[in-house]
Amino acid sequence: MRISFYLNGKQTHVDVPPGRKFVDVLREDLGLTGTKECCGAGECGACTILVDGQARLSCLMAAAQLQGRRVTTIEGLAADGSLHPVQEAFIEYGAVQCGFCTPGVVLAAVHLLDRNPDPTREQIREGLSGNLCRCSGYVKIVDAVEAAATKMRGGTPQ
Amino acid sequence: MREVILPGSLDELWRSFEGKPQAAVYAGGTDLLVGLYNGLLNPEALICLDRIEELQGVGEQGESIRIGSCTTHAQLLDDPLVKSHLPVLWQAIRGIGSPLVRNMGTIGGNICTASPAGDTLPPLYALRAEVELRSKEGVRRMAIEDFIAGPGATRLQRAEILTCVWVKKPGEYNLHHFEKVGLRNALACSVVSMAALLRLALNGVVEKAALAWGSAGPTIVTCPEAEKKLIGEPLSMALLQEAAALVRKAVSPISDVRADADYRRIVAGNLLLRLCKVLK
Amino acid sequence: MLEVGCPMPGFDARAKVTGEEKYAADQSREDTLWAGAKRAGIAHGIIRGIDTSAARALPGVFAILTRKDITGTNRQGIVHKDQPVLAGGKVRHCGDPVALVLAEDRDILKNALSLIRVDFEPLPGVFDPEKALEPEAPRVHETGNLLQKAVISTGNAMESFNECDIVVEDSFVASGQEHAFLETENGLAWREPDGKIVMIVSTQAPFRDRFEIAHALGLEVDAIRVIGPYLGGGFGGKDGSTVQCLLALAALHAGGRPVKMWWEREESFIAGYKRHPVKMRYRLGAMRDGTLHALQCSLFYDTGPYAHLGVEVMALGMEHAGGPYRIPNTFVEGWCVYTNNPISGAMRGFGVCQVAFGIERMMDLLASKLGMSRLDIRLKNALLRGDRNCSGVVLVHSTGIVPCLETLGRHSLWMESSKWKGAAGPFKRRGVGIAAVFNAMGYGRGIPDSAIAKVELTREGKIRVYSGVPDMGQGNASAFVQFAGEILCQNASRMELILPDTDRTHPSGSSSAGRTTYTYGNALILACKELKEKLLHRTALMLMLDEARGLTLLPGKVKHLPSGREVPLDLIGRTFPETDRIVVNQFVMPVAQDNVNTGKEFKIGFPHVLFSYAAHLAYVEVDELTGKIDVKGYLAVTEGGRIINPLGFEQQVHGAVAQGIGYGLMEEVLLDEGRILNPNFTNYIIPTSLDIPEIATVSVEMVESTGPFGMKGIGEVGTNGPLPAIAGAVEDAVGRRLNRSPLTAENILCAM
Repeated sequence: MRISFYLNGKQTHVDVPPGRKFVDVLREDLGLTGTKECCGAGECGACTILVDGQARLSCLMAAAQLQGRRVTTIEGLAADGSLHPVQEAFIEYGAVQCGFCTPGVVLAAVHLLDRNPDPTREQIREGLSGNLCRCSGYVKIVDAVEAAATKMRGGTPQ
Repeated sequence: MREVILPGSLDELWRSFEGKPQAAVYAGGTDLLVGLYNGLLNPEALICLDRIEELQGVGEQGESIRIGSCTTHAQLLDDPLVKSHLPVLWQAIRGIGSPLVRNMGTIGGNICTASPAGDTLPPLYALRAEVELRSKEGVRRMAIEDFIAGPGATRLQRAEILTCVWVKKPGEYNLHHFEKVGLRNALACSVVSMAALLRLALNGVVEKAALAWGSAGPTIVTCPEAEKKLIGEPLSMALLQEAAALVRKAVSPISDVRADADYRRIVAGNLLLRLCKVLK
Repeated sequence: MLEVGCPMPGFDARAKVTGEEKYAADQSREDTLWAGAKRAGIAHGIIRGIDTSAARALPGVFAILTRKDITGTNRQGIVHKDQPVLAGGKVRHCGDPVALVLAEDRDILKNALSLIRVDFEPLPGVFDPEKALEPEAPRVHETGNLLQKAVISTGNAMESFNECDIVVEDSFVASGQEHAFLETENGLAWREPDGKIVMIVSTQAPFRDRFEIAHALGLEVDAIRVIGPYLGGGFGGKDGSTVQCLLALAALHAGGRPVKMWWEREESFIAGYKRHPVKMRYRLGAMRDGTLHALQCSLFYDTGPYAHLGVEVMALGMEHAGGPYRIPNTFVEGWCVYTNNPISGAMRGFGVCQVAFGIERMMDLLASKLGMSRLDIRLKNALLRGDRNCSGVVLVHSTGIVPCLETLGRHSLWMESSKWKGAAGPFKRRGVGIAAVFNAMGYGRGIPDSAIAKVELTREGKIRVYSGVPDMGQGNASAFVQFAGEILCQNASRMELILPDTDRTHPSGSSSAGRTTYTYGNALILACKELKEKLLHRTALMLMLDEARGLTLLPGKVKHLPSGREVPLDLIGRTFPETDRIVVNQFVMPVAQDNVNTGKEFKIGFPHVLFSYAAHLAYVEVDELTGKIDVKGYLAVTEGGRIINPLGFEQQVHGAVAQGIGYGLMEEVLLDEGRILNPNFTNYIIPTSLDIPEIATVSVEMVESTGPFGMKGIGEVGTNGPLPAIAGAVEDAVGRRLNRSPLTAENILCAM
């Protein structure tokens, strides 16, 4: 079945079984391996993408559900070559270790800041509580999101 | 190849059911699709309800609140009616899964999955909620405790869906409390949970009480004996201890990978004691 | 600029944050087949027959292989080669593979696997290491269930207990643990036209993998090329063949097509390696003033059905069983035992995590019996440089446990702990606990801890570092770039990094044991210094200088300071041939020179002489109604020599503490007669962002003179602290000692 949706700002069509797991569509049919899969049960958040701006689990969506939707994957976050402030902060604050959780966490953080541009550290933790990280202990991830939020509000991070 | 249908209206939905009585219905998919993609289920077709607008949204009708079954948990958390009128439900939804799961999962899904650990259920029982079920043939309503027949089982008929939940505004209560016990602070399946609605007079006497427990039996457990024990007395630790003892007799928890039955039994009673703290 | 000692964002961070970085799991090629293993499903049994007929008949099944398709020993293993690639005669755990299927896609593969019927004669299994040592116990291997018994002893332990003013005894059970890396075991392999097998695999040991594959399948080592990209986590679970032997076998039978194998989460649980569950009995004797005098302990390591690194794990555990303390008389006995539980192998904290629980809880017990503060008793006995440790090794290198404890004692979190405890809310009880921990670095004696570094000035004038050892997130790749940049005075934009590839980089040991930055880093420093000399000499030639004086490397060029003349690096790159622009150098980690005259059973892995140290403090709140424990605050004071990159240092400490908190509170592989009851992330739970508190990280900097720029590896020491610190805090809060991990709400509620 032909499914049409907006992928990272571009009109995209794929011809796939309508029930195909969407993360497989992204990784295998579209070659976008930035989105990861790691638990198959919605318990880790590594497969997080944005659908109409909202963070969702691409391992728990059938391809047909994306018809007409606006999808953003990690590959689409950097606008015309320059990184999103969340991505920059992740680099600067050491929030990337093995990096496998990173695409999912970054997108979840983007959605979080979209809803709450001035979150407390506890709110950041809550907002990212669906994204498991086995390497970092989350501290630097919270640092990075806090700094990105400050920057996006036009301030200077500490 | 498995079909996936996304009807845009209830009429389209009834047409989708024709000839596909075994189709699996879902909205968020946070339960169904886990089973499907792990090979535990193999339905002939999938019907996704998330495009049907009339199944979404929260509204007021007089003294009642109407919650569309396909409203996501995230939407409910943002909804001013839920926040102000149904705080016990709001508190419960906060603890469901994770933000990602809440962006996708719906109250209708939580009800129809009918897990004894479903976090919306104890509040809905305490609130005496009613579910509205619709099929091509018509509409019916029933109390939520009648709708849920057993663990994972509801009275939903074939080609019928849950369209909304009706809750009478619980204005007569002034204490709305929910607590969930999990093995970690997010992405946790409730090990035991409790919803409590109380009306306390100015002098601390309990005038009304509605209590419900999750993960403490095959379906949500209510304990009218405990409610009666509380009513007419000033709320105190001693009173709550007595009521807790009755609760421990009323629940019938199981032992599983998450916890032993004994632990669940003891904690189900202990959760009542927390109401002392909420008083302060 | 790349300067050692300054915070530096990871060299790999940008590619990872944009999703561009390709892990092994992201690799794909045209026309790939998918390979998967049929797993035993029973813990112990004899294979009577395997019926693959229904599976073969399925359209899209390319091949099904069994034991008889393997030429070679059919045995893999890092030290002891006792693990079959495909089980032929019997299965010894639920995850033992009995058949290998190659199929056109994953759905067909899953279908085919479900159609394979294995006829077993079930055998009784053994699931406890002490029971496994009983004479009538079912034998996991014909040679019996004892893989290794060993003793490490110093002084005169048995007699010296009589000299003690106080003797305390207790026993403990430390659970196993799942690595739970996000990227599960996987690889992609194909056979080149000339017969060479090429494999891109998520591995901690690409060079050794070739030897394992060759030995198992009867191939030549140099007919195998292994490429090791960044791993999406390893933590020890990808040390040793996971998919490698099966994948190579598949590639041999794929008709030249590439084959991919990627274990889904459940298979990763069932077939992957785990931390050893350990049962411990401790006896500790001291003088009235708290001076430790005698230690005796018995340790039983459940290594599962195959050795993996079980003996080495036990050796390291035994070496650390007395903690970072002076104890003149020790008698540590260890049994490494086969069972039919899942395979235990290497995991961060490698045998030490478990004994740290034991010894630290004993120290708390002693402190309470003597009426001493838990900090004071540790300070009194903490090792100093020049002391002999519990294995009889004289500590000739940096030994910073005392300053770690002193720093903890001066920290506001320690000083304000009483005030914090007193502010507990209704139904909450608060406590604090501390732990003094250490962890050896490197392989120890008996096997060279060696690395070979290669660095090149490219034609384009860039500095290219050829890393021989994989980066699984500990940041060694960035550290290598930082070292090279520091010595050659180049910034990140002029640096290139080649990740491990057995065809292009050089053997540098495994990514493990806290050794990679130290050992490879030292080799790289030698290579870079040599390259620097060479570049200055070549520049002198180009500038017709009669001596190479006054020349200095600057970003992008070499400058002659007296004259101001400059030669750009890319000009040097184009002037000299490739062979003249490359330097290869090597380093071997120093080993203990003591003849300790104990632990002789350990041919490799004992003893060590370089250690990192830490003192941890946990703030814990226990709920009286539910027993639930929340870690509300945490302090880790760590001594790892000099700090190369403060960001990298903190990353490692935070991550180790988080895994330790998971180990302490919520992670347990639940087994029923060898079958895992929770082989998924729903029921095997690791900490989320709401479960880990703010972690205060303080470093005690010392110079480790043998280390690259004075550093030591600190990747593991942090995992050893949380379980004992939290257990101590729980005891402080509710007055009960919990001796089993994980410390669950259920156990605590029972205890209260």
